[in-house]
Amino acid sequence: MAATRTKPSAREIFTTLEYGPVPESHACALAWLDTQDRHLGHYVNGKWLKPEHRNSVPCQDPITGERLAICLQAQAEDVVAAVEAAGTAFENWSGLPGASRAQHLLRLAKMIQKHQRLLWTLESLVTGRAVREVRDGDVPLAQQLLQYHAVQAYTQEEVLAGWEPMGVIGLILSPTFSFLEMMWRICPALAVGCTVVVLVPPASPTPLLLAQLAGELGSFPGILNVISGPASLGPVLASQPGVQKVTFCGAIEEGRALRRTLAGKGAELGLALGAESLLMLTEAADVDSAVEGVVDAAWSDRSAGGLRLLIQESVWDETMRRLQERMARLRGGRGLDGAVDMGARGAAAHDLAQRYVREARSQGAQVFQAGAVPSDSPFFPPTLVSDLPPASPCTQAEVPWPVVVASPFRTAKEALAVANGTPRGASASVWSERLGQALELGYGLRVGTVWINAHGLRNAEVPTGGCKESGSSWSGGPDGLYEYLRPSGTPARLSYFSENLNYGTFGLAVPSTLPAGPEIGPSPATPYGLLIGGHFQAPGARSSRPIQDAQGNLHGYVAEGGAKDIRGAVEAAHQAAPGWVGQSPGARATLLWALATALERREAALTSRLERHGTELKDAKVEVELSARQLRAWGARAQAQGHVLQVAGLKGPVLRLREPLGVLAIVCPDEWPLLAFVSLLAAALAHGNTVVLVPSGACPIPALELCQDMAALLPAGLVNVVTGDRDHLTRCLALHQDVQALWYFGSAQGSQFVEWASAGNLKPVWVNRGCPWAWDQEAKGAGRELGLRAARTKALWLPMGD
Amino acid sequence: MSARNRGTELDQVGGATEEGVDLPSSLHPTGMHTSGFGCFPMEPEALNLSWISKMQVNQPAVLRRAQQIQARRTVKKEWQAAWLLKAVTFIDLTTLSGDDTSSNIQRLCYKAKYPIREDLLKTLNMHDKGLTTAAVCVYPARVCDAVRALKAAGCTIPVASVATGFPAGQTHLKTRLEEIRLAVEDGATEIDVVINRTLVLTGQWEGSDFIKTSTGKETVNATFPVAIVMLRAIRDFFWKTGNKVGFKPAGGIRSAKDSLAWLSLVKEELGDEWLTPDLFRIGASTLLSDIERQVCNNPLSWDKLTSVFLRKKRKIPYWAMRTREKTSSDLPHCTQTSAFIQANPHLKWADWTRERECA
Repeated sequence: MAATRTKPSAREIFTTLEYGPVPESHACALAWLDTQDRHLGHYVNGKWLKPEHRNSVPCQDPITGERLAICLQAQAEDVVAAVEAAGTAFENWSGLPGASRAQHLLRLAKMIQKHQRLLWTLESLVTGRAVREVRDGDVPLAQQLLQYHAVQAYTQEEVLAGWEPMGVIGLILSPTFSFLEMMWRICPALAVGCTVVVLVPPASPTPLLLAQLAGELGSFPGILNVISGPASLGPVLASQPGVQKVTFCGAIEEGRALRRTLAGKGAELGLALGAESLLMLTEAADVDSAVEGVVDAAWSDRSAGGLRLLIQESVWDETMRRLQERMARLRGGRGLDGAVDMGARGAAAHDLAQRYVREARSQGAQVFQAGAVPSDSPFFPPTLVSDLPPASPCTQAEVPWPVVVASPFRTAKEALAVANGTPRGASASVWSERLGQALELGYGLRVGTVWINAHGLRNAEVPTGGCKESGSSWSGGPDGLYEYLRPSGTPARLSYFSENLNYGTFGLAVPSTLPAGPEIGPSPATPYGLLIGGHFQAPGARSSRPIQDAQGNLHGYVAEGGAKDIRGAVEAAHQAAPGWVGQSPGARATLLWALATALERREAALTSRLERHGTELKDAKVEVELSARQLRAWGARAQAQGHVLQVAGLKGPVLRLREPLGVLAIVCPDEWPLLAFVSLLAAALAHGNTVVLVPSGACPIPALELCQDMAALLPAGLVNVVTGDRDHLTRCLALHQDVQALWYFGSAQGSQFVEWASAGNLKPVWVNRGCPWAWDQEAKGAGRELGLRAARTKALWLPMGD
Repeated sequence: MSARNRGTELDQVGGATEEGVDLPSSLHPTGMHTSGFGCFPMEPEALNLSWISKMQVNQPAVLRRAQQIQARRTVKKEWQAAWLLKAVTFIDLTTLSGDDTSSNIQRLCYKAKYPIREDLLKTLNMHDKGLTTAAVCVYPARVCDAVRALKAAGCTIPVASVATGFPAGQTHLKTRLEEIRLAVEDGATEIDVVINRTLVLTGQWEGSDFIKTSTGKETVNATFPVAIVMLRAIRDFFWKTGNKVGFKPAGGIRSAKDSLAWLSLVKEELGDEWLTPDLFRIGASTLLSDIERQVCNNPLSWDKLTSVFLRKKRKIPYWAMRTREKTSSDLPHCTQTSAFIQANPHLKWADWTRERECA
């Protein structure tokens, strides 16, 4: 390292013209640690909490290994204390007018500004990241986040009317995520009136410092509580009664495990997983600028992950040459040096990168490393991996920091297929000077954020999130606020966990259908089929299930669908998806309105079907009428999607797009058999999804009646309806890898199973936890929550200039 | 003159507002030979216009890069002193005023020969390096004066002359060529040619040995984003043909800090091999005095020097800013000088220095 080498004289430097060390003093960070006697506990309820008889771990300088402090590890009772404090603080905090909360957030922003030097030196010292990035990027952004959300709090009563804060929020951070990730999430939560308990990994003092800064503002001590402890405390925090939502930032596998653990535990789970990004470089790009984009993405300490780089074949050689040339000029070293590009990320990140590179090499990849980086651990040189065989495990695995995996593509269409083929979907950039091509790729990518001719831009006003395995939790912008809100009047989320639920056998076997006794009266019509791919077909099992009316008499037979039918339905939905997404919202609205008209034409039949199932005539009429209204309302709403954001410091717009989830499976509730079915269907279709529906189990016939119109009116495969044993169908849908989202309205056990099973492809799920809904009320049936859930956001950055 | 000026109106790549081409002659001129200059077209394979049409520049991305590059590389202490001295060797010490006379040209040439005070160089152990600026740059009519003054000082610093209707270049080709010929006759060994912008704007490019950001007489002169585009073009040209084209930012580079940023820009975009006076020049008139001041302010020089220097820009004594962090024992003259400054608030830094020396 530079410090240990003998210092060259000015005379020597005059000849070599080399860079020298630009050390940043970390005296103030050490002084702060001294105020705690180098002994850090937790920060709860505005006070330091240092309980006795706890394990402790050392907090070390990742580069020198010098011990900076001792950090206490929390135990379950510390978590309980923190959640209690947050719960008490919630009473006051949520009751405040938005303007007062705004004031408080602004005071915290001022506080950060006053102590920014302490903040950035401490962060860089402990994490090893380049101080330049923390100082010029993270700290100003942290302040900006507070300011933006203060404004949101100020306008909350007006803009977010009809929504209320959820309550106590648990935030779990994994070691690779910086304090900024915490800021992204606590700011909206605090702004809307929630209080937060943050569980940080051991030996991360910066969140504790932030909590102390917030606590020293006085007025509301318990709104931000930080405890440090092992990852195993995550489920403990999440299952505390009172914790309404848990947001987790970390590795994909950890997120998956947490999803399974928390199934049925009550708290909603938001996941922000992985850190890999993607860069698509076309032949029409400014290659040198794109190379800088690669540096921004992987080799500048901005992101915690690696980069997947897709390069058009015609510029492959040129790009690789420029990349390698650029890599040679990168400087790595101690993070607290003002002139290094890359710091170190500790031994764990080093080993992860080394393991990946070693495996890639053994699988036949070319590995290029360069740059002025110290050769000893924990430093890892910028690494470029190419020629990785398409089938090798490394191609599928997440690329770690600071590795870039380059692969060629021939056409833009192929690039899109490759990019969308990866299981991750956080962020991507497209480099092309051809406007049409750039927009085509930008719209086509299935990710949360797309930058055109830039990479890694961030702003508090722009929602940041992902899809697929990157999780569907959002932060920043309006989407970040809705993460911590629920429609007013929603009951608190309680645990509905059932010990007896066996995930292995739930809905596995279909109870066999036996003849339902003597058929009295006129012979019932032929069984209803399954609507799959635009026409009715017989179920694979070739059996039907009887449906009884309110008096216990046989009403009719519906098809007994199974796994095979679900597979067919999902496939048909996938085939119909591109056509439906391509439709303009106007065209979608026209179809929904036509369906409403058809439904009204069937009013008499539908009313009598509902009546036979025990609905009063008056209520049945209302249900049919409301159903038609829902179709029209969602059709109209389809036209007002997304908007343009104007972002400070960026010339050009950022588009907030609302894109369909894809193939959406909906298991409809038993109550309101027609209205719930139509409401869910209409919202899903209006937002461009294609659907596989399981109608009400007790009373599927009204929905199936409507299917006759849908088969005639709607494009084939857009809506697929499968009847049968609900648990069995739910199991098939929840475990299906190509179902991109699932809404479940049914039993508590079913809800728990759906949450558990969604961990497979991490599809977003929405469950009713066994609680029936009042679908005839505006808040539920046509509420904004349904609209929020029916689409996902994408932020498309379009910097401009010539 | 060895005039390797292969073309009179030369390359101008990518940038929008900057014109002007530097044509260094032999880079270490050994004598004066006025061999033919004129329009030698470059070898056909060396300049292929299809590259230019294929070239893509994304302006917002270049702006971001320009911003980053200034924040990501700094040098301190010994490194800063050495880099500043290196920057001196790249300077084309320039005077391009309407009222230039032989006396100020003489002073300019003396400054070119002795750019940094001897005692400062001694503290850095650099006094025996024969440090000079890269060239002096004057109007054609002053070339004679400059050549004479440099000869009298006994040094071989090349004389560069702007020519061809500088700074607009809107004169006839015939008079422009004649201007070059006369300047070379007078002893200029490098000619800064203003290219015909009419040709550029209609897409008719020509090749060059050196490209310059601007004449220094425009409203916008050397800026980082434009320089990035030019440097990348230089690198691409080198990769394609093996020819190294030089780069000269000119206009608006006044502070030592700026000069360091330019050095690191070239180092980052082109590499160390371009950091030689053969391939990199800084056109500047007032930069040198700021560099001298900063070398003097460098902590390395403090304890050895007896004179007082102030930061002109901020009008605050340098140590007054530093003493907050450092103990006054590092700075033996601190108290005394502060008192002096307080007693004479109306004086500018140069006057302070002079008065101090007199006292």
